[in-house]
Amino acid sequence: MTDPHQTEVFERLVRPHFDRLYRLAWRLTGTKAEAEDLFQELLIKAFGMLDELVHIDEPGSWLCRVMYNLFIDQHRRFARQRMHLVDEGHLPGQGLADLAGDLDPVEDRERLEKFRRLDAALQQLSEEHRHVVLLHDTEGYKLEEIEGLTGIPVGTIKSRLHRARARLRQILQEDGTIS
Amino acid sequence: MNEKRVQEEQELLQLLKDYPAPEADAGFYDRALVRAVHKSSRRQRNRWMLAGFGSAIAAGLAIWMITAMLMTTPQLPDAEPVIPGVTIAMEQERTVRLVFASAEALDSATLTVSLPEGIELAGFPGQREITWETSLQEGKNLLPLTLVALTPAGGELLARLEHKDRNRTFRLRIDVS
Repeated sequence: MTDPHQTEVFERLVRPHFDRLYRLAWRLTGTKAEAEDLFQELLIKAFGMLDELVHIDEPGSWLCRVMYNLFIDQHRRFARQRMHLVDEGHLPGQGLADLAGDLDPVEDRERLEKFRRLDAALQQLSEEHRHVVLLHDTEGYKLEEIEGLTGIPVGTIKSRLHRARARLRQILQEDGTIS
Repeated sequence: MNEKRVQEEQELLQLLKDYPAPEADAGFYDRALVRAVHKSSRRQRNRWMLAGFGSAIAAGLAIWMITAMLMTTPQLPDAEPVIPGVTIAMEQERTVRLVFASAEALDSATLTVSLPEGIELAGFPGQREITWETSLQEGKNLLPLTLVALTPAGGELLARLEHKDRNRTFRLRIDVS
């Protein structure tokens, strides 16, 4: 049986970081189902490491690192053996439909169309470039935070960011998304 | 950087900044917490159970197990996802193994395999679509499919897994040599 006190301590430590972790899972995996799987795997692993977790100064950053390592160690490696997901694809713009309705229909359509094109452009980047640009430019992680998360040196991250942006700019210019 | 370039850069950065990520479904966090506590405890008690693939699915599909296995491990290029593929010889049985990853055990899942014209599953002559109910265990679940090509056309095999309101469809390109 699980000690109810352990469960309470665990929840107190991890719950404040749920939104950030879910977004990270989404950015890494690009699909809802896989983001949920990764998030779930993280919690299972983290609960098993509760003795360590209670002594961590910044549990949020620690959890992000554990999630990233889980993704690298299990998820991406395993993805090579998985069949391609037709329904969910890879960054197919899932969730974009949920955004409709905030603005007037024309603005909504234009906005959604831009994001769909961005989705498609991101697909043309390598995974490394896509992650760096999403973490830095979309999620607002600092270069040093990305280094802490991924273990990739800041210089390499900067270089990837530069190349990723250049490629995105080229693609989005060609399809008229940006002027 | 000239003015136009600066403007493009700003447009791009704004688009990326606004690029949305959906929120988790209502109740997902609570369910995930409960599962984590439950599963973490269970894993500690039953580590030995995680060693193998789902026995239920293996038993249910034993009819398709033959000795010559082909594990498809497609090397996905970075640029875009590629549908994995296999090449099979005409009128010769070849077993491919699909791997389904599941974060949790799934009872009463429905699996539907749709075949292109000219490709059959061994043991199911003439059937283009086969559906059955199965169970998945947490982790990797293996689905061996023994295929036979009756024509050289090839095509795409779809394996659709449904559980409650969720579903996934897996694609496999089949070429015939």
